[in-house]
Formats: sequence, C-alpha cells, structure tokens
Amino acid sequence: MMKLWYGQIVSVVRLEMKKTFFSKRGLWVYLLAFAPVVLYMVHSVYATRQRQHLAQLATEHPISQAAFNGIKTGLSRDQVVAKLGEPYWQRTRYHHGGNGKKRSFVFYRYTDGKNDVSYHFEDNKLTWIHRRDPDTLPKSQLIFATSFQFYFLRLAIFFGCVGIFVNLFRGEMLDKSLHFYMLTPMRREVLLAGKYFAGLLATVVIFTSSTALQWWAMLWQFERGVIVDFLAGPGWIQFGAYLSVTALACVGYGSIFLAVGLLFSNPIIPTAVVLLWESANPFLPPLLKKTSMIYYLQSLCPVTAPPDKNMPPLINLLISPTEPATTLTAVTCIVLLTLLVLVLASRLARKLEINYGTD
Amino acid sequence: MAVYKQTYKDYSGTRTTPWFRFFILSRYSYARLFKSKFLVLFLAVCMFYPLGCAVFIYLSHNIPLLTALRLRSGAMPPIDGEFFNVYCVVQGALAFLLTTLVGPSLVAPDLANGAMSLYLSRPFSRTQYVAGKMTILLLLLSVITWIPGIVLYLIQAGCAGWDWARVHAWLAGSIVLGLWIWIVVLSLIALALSAWVKWKIAAGALILGVFFAGAGFGVAINNVTRTHYGAFIDLMQVVRTIWSDLFRNGSSADLSVTEAWTVLGVTCGLCLWLLARRIRAFEVVK
Repeated sequence: MMKLWYGQIVSVVRLEMKKTFFSKRGLWVYLLAFAPVVLYMVHSVYATRQRQHLAQLATEHPISQAAFNGIKTGLSRDQVVAKLGEPYWQRTRYHHGGNGKKRSFVFYRYTDGKNDVSYHFEDNKLTWIHRRDPDTLPKSQLIFATSFQFYFLRLAIFFGCVGIFVNLFRGEMLDKSLHFYMLTPMRREVLLAGKYFAGLLATVVIFTSSTALQWWAMLWQFERGVIVDFLAGPGWIQFGAYLSVTALACVGYGSIFLAVGLLFSNPIIPTAVVLLWESANPFLPPLLKKTSMIYYLQSLCPVTAPPDKNMPPLINLLISPTEPATTLTAVTCIVLLTLLVLVLASRLARKLEINYGTD
Repeated sequence: MAVYKQTYKDYSGTRTTPWFRFFILSRYSYARLFKSKFLVLFLAVCMFYPLGCAVFIYLSHNIPLLTALRLRSGAMPPIDGEFFNVYCVVQGALAFLLTTLVGPSLVAPDLANGAMSLYLSRPFSRTQYVAGKMTILLLLLSVITWIPGIVLYLIQAGCAGWDWARVHAWLAGSIVLGLWIWIVVLSLIALALSAWVKWKIAAGALILGVFFAGAGFGVAINNVTRTHYGAFIDLMQVVRTIWSDLFRNGSSADLSVTEAWTVLGVTCGLCLWLLARRIRAFEVVK
C-alpha cells in the first residue's frame, strides 16, 4: 500500500510541477524572491566601481589622513580648500530665506582612496561632515542578516508561500479542475501530501536558490583573499544555516497556507491575521513569542540582526528581549507544528466538498 | 404553432440622471457587502479608537473629574496636531485592512466572469464604472477615517471654545485632506490590482504585499545601499511624511514632503493607467 501511495504522491508532484513553477499566476513569486539578488548585485557592482574610482582619485590627488583629521566644523570653505585642495565633486545650491536673504549651501566630496568624506557648508561655514566608510565583510554580514530576517523571511517567503500553497487547492477551485483529482482512486490524504510536496519543492528551490545567489552577490564585491578567509572560517556554516532556515520557513509556512487554502474560501483574512501576528512578534511577551514561526526561524539564523534604527524610542521600549531557542528546539517545534497542521489539513481534505460558485 | 416576431425595443422606463448613474453600482454593492457579518463587526471595531479619543477629549476638559482623579488639567496630553496625527496613523491602518477586505471583490469578479461588456453595453461609461466602484470604498473608508476625525475636532472645539476652533481651524483641513489622500490612494490601488489580477484572493494578497513587502524591501534597499531611496516604495512612510507635514509635526522620515507628494502622484497615475488598460468592454483572448 505504501508503494502505491508513494507512486501516487510522485504522480501528483509531477502534475503540479508545471502549475507551481511556470504558472502565470505565480510569476510574482519570482519577483519577490529574486528582487534582493538584483539589489545585492547592483550594489556589489556599484561598490566595486566606486572603490576603483576612489582609489584612482586618491592616486591623482593624494590627501593625508592627518589633513582629514584637521578639518572641523566651523571652518570656512577657503580654509578647507587650503588644507585639502579642490574637491573631486562639488555642488552649490541657493535658497531664499523668509526674510528674502539668499543663503548658499555647498557640498564638497573628498577621498583618501578608501573613504568618501562629504563636507556641507552653509553660507561658507562648514556645518556637517559625513564620512562614508567602505563596505567591510562584518558590516555586510550584518546587512545581509537584517535584510534576510526583516524582508526575506518575514515577507518574501511568507507571501511566496501564500501565493504557491493557497493556490494548490483554491487555484484548482478557480480553474474548476479540482474534481478531476477527486474522481481518481486516490485517498484525499495522499492528494494533500502530493500537493504539499509539490509546493514545498517549488518554494524550496526558488527561495533557497535566491538565498544562495544573494549570498554570492553579497560576497562578490570583496577581494578573493577576504572571501577565501571568510569561507574557511564561519562562512560555509553561515551559508548552510541560511539555506536551512529558508527551507524550514518554506516547510512551516507552506503547511499553514495549505491548510488556509483548504479551510477558507477567502484566505486573505487568515493571511492578514498570521501576517500581523508574525509582525507583532518582537512586541509579544516571551510565552506568546514562542507561538509564532518567526521566533524559531530567527533563533536559527547565524547572525543576530540589529534592531531598526528608525524605530521610534517609545516603540523600541515595547520590544521584549527573549532568549533565542536552541537549534534542536527550534527545528523540533517547526517540524511538529508542520506535522500537526498537515494532519489537521488531511482530516479537512477528507470532508472537502467542491463548490465552484464561491470564488 | 404560432410564431411571433420578437424584436428588441428601446427601454422606455425612467432613466437615472447620467450624473448619478455611477451610484447604482455602489447601491447594489453595499447591499451585498453588508450581508457579511464580519464586515459589520470590523466596522464596529474600527469605531473603538475614535470613541476612546472622544472620551479622552471629554475627560481632559472635565475639571471636576480631573480633580477627583487628582490630575491637573495640564497633566493630560494636549489635543493638537500630534494627537490628530496619531489618530490618522491608527485609523489609516484600519482603513488599509478594510480595503484589503473589500477592495479585491469589486472589479475582479466582473472581469473574471466577463460581465464588463454587460455593464458597458448600457448607457454607462468606463469612468462611471470606475467612479461607481470607487465610491463604494471612498464612502466606507470615510465612515471610519475623516468623518469621526471631524467629529473629534468638533467635540474638542465644543469643549475648548470658539477661540480654539478659530486658531486650530487648519487642523480640520488637515484631517480631511490627509485622510482623503490616503483613502483615494488605497481605493485606486485596490481597484487597479483587483482589475489587473482578476482573482480576488490574489488581489487581496497583492494589496497586502504592495504595502508590507514594499515597506520591507524599501528597508532592505536602504540597508544594502546605505541610501534613503527605499523610502520611495514604502507607501506607508510616504503618507506618514505627508501627515507629519499637514499636522505640523517634526518628521524624521527619509523623504522630503515634495518627494512624498511626487511618489503619491506617480502611484495614483500608475493605478489610473492600469484601470484604463483593464476596464474595457472587450477582451482579446489569445
């Protein structure tokens, strides 16, 4: 019997492959998944060119570090030019104040070959200095962790799973084709398992490949020696951890949205509820935090993302710090929750009745 | 068997004035929408915060009660631009959720079931169709946003006196303008996405995605590129910037007010273009 069920699951997965990977309705999932890859690639290309550009500027017009250290706010434009020479980039703007007086705002940019330093003059007085340091690997790791946890896990994989897993049953209802499956001599549980594995295969392939490409694009801007040293150290472990977290997110969210697609004729309300619950996770008390998927997924991430700098201080106070779950606990909880949801969904599938009129 | 010649004749009954024809769609849609108990419940929940604000305004002017509670009248937060800005943020979020609930079912079913030609074969233009569908959202969202906002302003004006109302008349204008901008943007996005994807479930997910994923990806752009360009695709931040300006609050947003207005203008233009492309009496099926 197991062999028959296995064969049927494989058949369903094969049939669903085209629908999950190449359906027009699901193309936006690729956009969600691969947008960060494009972002990292564009940034890496820009950073590499910028580094070369700054190095070239510094060789043509070298400025010592001591000269940079001597620039303080309050200096005049002429004093800055006397110490550093002419800037490699400048822009002047004029604004008319309320009293009709014309004010000048001048921006100068200098480089020492690695750092880009901007000076902001108001009416010829230096008022603001901004130093843009070059990207370093530790800094890039933090940036990767932040965008992975705040965008990729919480939104891209979440909405990707909504798009693919809800579509497995609800999409068939819309296409008025679910009865073809129902007419086959196949147990409903087997059909559900087949559809779940098809969705899982699609999401895992799409999102893990996106994670891998993001990782590669993030590292691409650094020199070969830096990358080799990093990979020889914690690099591969981190890479593996990110891929595993991505796959586990697909496993967990996939099961939830498969059940949602089966249970609700309008899955948007439960999706919004789950989204709000997952988004509110940082503000929940420790016990409630453990009832959301994102808590376990974040616990498995190799680098802790720093909190949002733009968050208002009052809201920042509401964040309740909680110890992350251990790897074993996190994986066990996600797998157990998935199994529980799938068992419940299979019980629902046994009583599933087709009503094509509601969508 | 007798065979009678059947010919089509013009409708000879009374016609609705062309200017108000768009309202026919809204009337029938409201009848359908209010059959949903969940929607009615949600609308009731949306009134909790304005009700709390009204109670707060009343309490902050009730000197005997404040004395009984051993509070000075100055100890209560002032009813000013910041108060109404927070009101806009809370009710604006609820308006977004209501749009996600109602918006997808407005245009998508008509397109999916080929009903557009039936509408437009009548003396009913595309503009009237869009206006009719948009009115549904505009009125529904008005009920939970600027109308209670103005009621709060009037309660405060009643409690604080004519002088306060005269000095703070700009607050009433800001409440109406700020929330109208938001509900127009929400309605246009909901209609455009509902028309574009033709499937109400996908349209709902897409409305959620545009706002949440837009905000998330915007943060990712800011993080990776160390710029503020990501704020351009975060519509919530865009509208918060405008509200901060309208309510004369200091804003620490990454966008200037001009940039925020430009982003909203582009978004509305894009939505109108999508609607113009989709709302047609015919469809080419390849």
